[in-house]
Amino acid sequence: MAVIIGGAIVNYLIRVAPVVLAKGRKMPPFLATFLNIMPVAALGALIFPGIIESFPDKPSAGIIGVAVAALVSCFADGLVFPVVAAIAASWFTIRFF
Amino acid sequence: MNFFDGDFRRGAASAIPIFIGYFTASTAFGLLARGAGLSGWQSILFSATNLTGAAQFLAINLIASGAFPLEIVFSIFLINLRYFLMTASLLTKVRYKNSLEKYLTAFAVTDEVFSVAMVDGGNVNVRFMAGLQSTSWSGWVLGTVAGFFAGTFLSPALSAAMQVALFALFAALLVPEIKKYRLVAFLTALCAALLNTFFYYVLTFSAGWSLAIAMILASLAATIFLSRQNALKKSPVEREFCNHG
Repeated sequence: MAVIIGGAIVNYLIRVAPVVLAKGRKMPPFLATFLNIMPVAALGALIFPGIIESFPDKPSAGIIGVAVAALVSCFADGLVFPVVAAIAASWFTIRFF
Repeated sequence: MNFFDGDFRRGAASAIPIFIGYFTASTAFGLLARGAGLSGWQSILFSATNLTGAAQFLAINLIASGAFPLEIVFSIFLINLRYFLMTASLLTKVRYKNSLEKYLTAFAVTDEVFSVAMVDGGNVNVRFMAGLQSTSWSGWVLGTVAGFFAGTFLSPALSAAMQVALFALFAALLVPEIKKYRLVAFLTALCAALLNTFFYYVLTFSAGWSLAIAMILASLAATIFLSRQNALKKSPVEREFCNHG
């Protein structure tokens, strides 16, 4: 229980700190550019190597899933279709290879 | 107009893939939490108040192995330091009207919520965030309930395949960014992935530190590159990235 409450407090403090710190200040351009490009870096780092770690028995199933998602999202707008296609591709890889 | 129309609805619709990904991931969390000896209410409370993926899984592992609560909370802190950067980044994107809106949306900042909000081309205001975050939060909490009480209702192959959902979501968010910003975005993402791999496997940093440092270094490199280019001439790419007015 201490972990749950402690975790909740710590998580909220991390998430709310920038709001308190940024109060009434103007964002310097360098920092704003830095924060704008952050999502791109975050997405790259979130995919890899997490995808390998999530499929310890069969990394290929994860990599194929992500590749299918990337491929599908080149041609289709929206997020549901790539995600569903990736699950199907991973399932197929685990089940039949 | 009603609060739950328009942008709220658009935010909720954007969160459907997150809902799917969260539901499946937190199903696994519910199963593990039960195995580690948490009660149903504790598991749900954990997901509802912490709303974080990797850190909750790590906490369950540590609880099962009998670690001290303080040690576990500190690990949660390290893994989730990245949310600091994400809230800071959202402050430049979301059209907030007052401080209260900022304090409320800060509660449910996650990797996925952040990524979807940042790449959205429409009007990202507090209603959009409310729709996006409440839908994501529901997926995480309902999945925990399902995992704890319903147990194994999926075939092993399917529940393993479901793990790909979150990563597929990341890839589907990244591809349009690369299409839009071309080489700069591609290299930044690649650089972050390589750095994260290096820190995690070679330097054996914890997953949280590794991710946070990789993100910071790759973004910093890209920002320095863009700022230098900016001094020469404004390319469309970095006009977009430097557009924060």
